[in-house]
Amino acid sequence: MSEGTWRERLRVWVDGEREPRDRTLFVMESPQRTSSLPTPEEHEVRERHRLRKFLNWYPAAAVIICAALVAVLLAAVVRMPAFGEADNPINNEVSRHYLARTEEETGASNAVTGMILSYRGFDTLGESCVLFLAVASVTLLLRREDGEPEDAAQRRLRREDALQREHPDVILQQSARLLIPFILLFALYVLLNGESSPGGGFSGGTVLGGGLILYAAAFGFERLGRFFSRRAYSAVRTFGLLLYTFLYGCYIVTGANGLTSEALTRMGGLSLPIDLAVGLVVACTVYGFYALFARGEI
Amino acid sequence: MLETLLENRFSVTAVLLFGIGFLNLLLQQNLLKKVVGFNIMDSAVFLLLASLGYIEGGAAPVVAEGTSPSLYINPIPSGLVLTGIVVSVSITAFSLALIQRIYRRYGTIELDQLRERARKEDD
Repeated sequence: MSEGTWRERLRVWVDGEREPRDRTLFVMESPQRTSSLPTPEEHEVRERHRLRKFLNWYPAAAVIICAALVAVLLAAVVRMPAFGEADNPINNEVSRHYLARTEEETGASNAVTGMILSYRGFDTLGESCVLFLAVASVTLLLRREDGEPEDAAQRRLRREDALQREHPDVILQQSARLLIPFILLFALYVLLNGESSPGGGFSGGTVLGGGLILYAAAFGFERLGRFFSRRAYSAVRTFGLLLYTFLYGCYIVTGANGLTSEALTRMGGLSLPIDLAVGLVVACTVYGFYALFARGEI
Repeated sequence: MLETLLENRFSVTAVLLFGIGFLNLLLQQNLLKKVVGFNIMDSAVFLLLASLGYIEGGAAPVVAEGTSPSLYINPIPSGLVLTGIVVSVSITAFSLALIQRIYRRYGTIELDQLRERARKEDD
């Protein structure tokens, strides 16, 4: 072997062989793909696969998460203080103050009514606002059929009213004639008697709304609209909320114990007007939901 | 262990009801049944709150003249339940109104059919 040959052999070893011995080089027939993004159909198919895999796993994951949550909550709940003990941390000086001083400070002997209308009255103002807004938003959502113009909606409502007039439900009407006076009387009793017995604005307002619903179901919305039209409905609802806001606005200006005039203490504090206001708002809300879902408008 | 469960039976029942309501909310295909599950969760929370205020041997908190406060139960959790009931009613009404709009728009309230029809509208 000469020296050139080991240099040659080195070069051949470093360069590699041009034609590999037992592999064939093939030349690609089709041109290379220009982009590596999937085409829209493949994307669609891939999305559907992913959705199906997610939907397969979703029930199992939901059960596991729920079981874990229930286990954590149970572990917390068995470590809570015993049920009904008088020296639980929840029976602290606040509840003792409410029970001891509610008669003289708020004029209500029902401690819960005194608490929600006087001691924590701003919370109840928020509640009334929530009910008012709920009716407003449901009205906005359910106002009209899609694509139905105004006069078509009016014709549909008149047709429904005519149907109600032509085919009255005799049993419902007779029992409603018997029951509605007692229901309204009971609602007024519960509303006005919230201070000295269980009751108050929320329960009285709900019973009042129930009476209105019974009237509308038995005699038709048209007859109810004769003495409780849409304008009257909006007026009553807005008046209730505004009265409450006004009365509590006075508290903001004069301070928490500011309104202590003679007339007010003889009246029993501000509980009665606030009870009435809350009751009106709740009654209008309950009736409003029924009317909106049954008919599309008040 | 069983004794603590029986002692706090209201809270344990409330937690179990909450779990049932949550499972309904997640797993039901019909939108109305989801709303029912949500209401069950609400009722569980009310049960828990109302049971916290009970004192053994106490009367309802309608205070008679000049009696001591130790005769009555705690009035505060009842007020909290009142707030909760109002929130539950409002949310249920709003969800039902939304479901009615969905039905008017798509013609179905089953979740899988809803998904199909919504995807077909996108195409």
